[in-house]
Amino acid sequence: MIVAERKTIPELVDILEGHKKILVLGCGTCVTVCLAGGEREVSIISSALRIASRVKNLSFEIEELTIERQCDNVFIEEAAKAVERNDVVLSLGCGAGVQAIAERYLTKPVYAGLNTAFIGILEERGIWAEKCAACGACVLDQYGGICPVTRCAKHMLNGPCGGSREDRCEVRPDRPCGWQLIYQRLKGIGQLDRLKRIVPPKNWAPSLGGGCRVIVREDHRI
Amino acid sequence: MKIHIFYCSNCLDTDLLRKQLEIKGNGERDHQIQTVSLPCSGKVNLLYLLKAFEKGSDGVLLVTCGQGACKFLEGNLRARKRAKAVDSMLEETGLGKGRMIVVQKSEEGIEQITAALLQLKDNILQDTERSQE
Repeated sequence: MIVAERKTIPELVDILEGHKKILVLGCGTCVTVCLAGGEREVSIISSALRIASRVKNLSFEIEELTIERQCDNVFIEEAAKAVERNDVVLSLGCGAGVQAIAERYLTKPVYAGLNTAFIGILEERGIWAEKCAACGACVLDQYGGICPVTRCAKHMLNGPCGGSREDRCEVRPDRPCGWQLIYQRLKGIGQLDRLKRIVPPKNWAPSLGGGCRVIVREDHRI
Repeated sequence: MKIHIFYCSNCLDTDLLRKQLEIKGNGERDHQIQTVSLPCSGKVNLLYLLKAFEKGSDGVLLVTCGQGACKFLEGNLRARKRAKAVDSMLEETGLGKGRMIVVQKSEEGIEQITAALLQLKDNILQDTERSQE
């Protein structure tokens, strides 16, 4: 899922200052799961903004709404009336959600209330970790299902850097060494032979270098 | 000054608390203090506490069971962390820090709550003076 975290209240006040009627719009998908922009977070952030508005005499009028998915036109439609009623939208969706709302409502300012951080999973209660860099050319099949691009701080493709202490990464000692994990995993599934192959430099062309990435499926187009 | 007291009903006797709080020095009821009984302090979330401030509360006191005494094992630990998050959030809003106080119930009983209330009122007054400067 996409993992995000909220901007601070002073940042949000800075963004919203000068506006009166504000729609705080949550998203019921990824950002709900990572506790950043779901229905509950919409209420919490709205409540904090109302307090800030009172303290700073900003006269915000805040409406709250959460739709199932901000990155899908079918669900965006459900927010149409609320968007119409308000001067601006503070989207608590991921970056894709914010842009989808902005593209749909051309005359309405749409602001991001979250910082979209990464694609990851919930590792344990209250801890989310990055698992995929969306590099566009997946190599997970070669490394036992553990991604050296995201799990190794140096993105090493041909073995560990040699700097790890015990099983900890030397760049981030609070994280395990990605290559230690890859080794253990390949050993566990009996594929240690894979480590003997020399992997050529990764093709980064499908990654962000070429600008906005688009996938076209002709079989799904009329 | 308006204050909300959220308390775990497993560690505080509701009647005793109300009796203690509703009588001011001059024998009149203090309408500025509102109590909210909880089945466990772990029932509070950020929204409960923020809503109190949004609706005009100047300070919130959260009373939890003592360490290791929570009937639901870790409700008091969760409550403390949530209160800390609310305190930080209030600072972000500009309302100031120290308006959200957690009291972990001990042997001192009701006197402990009274002392915490005085501390909370003091924090609020200091904060108000600072913001007026």
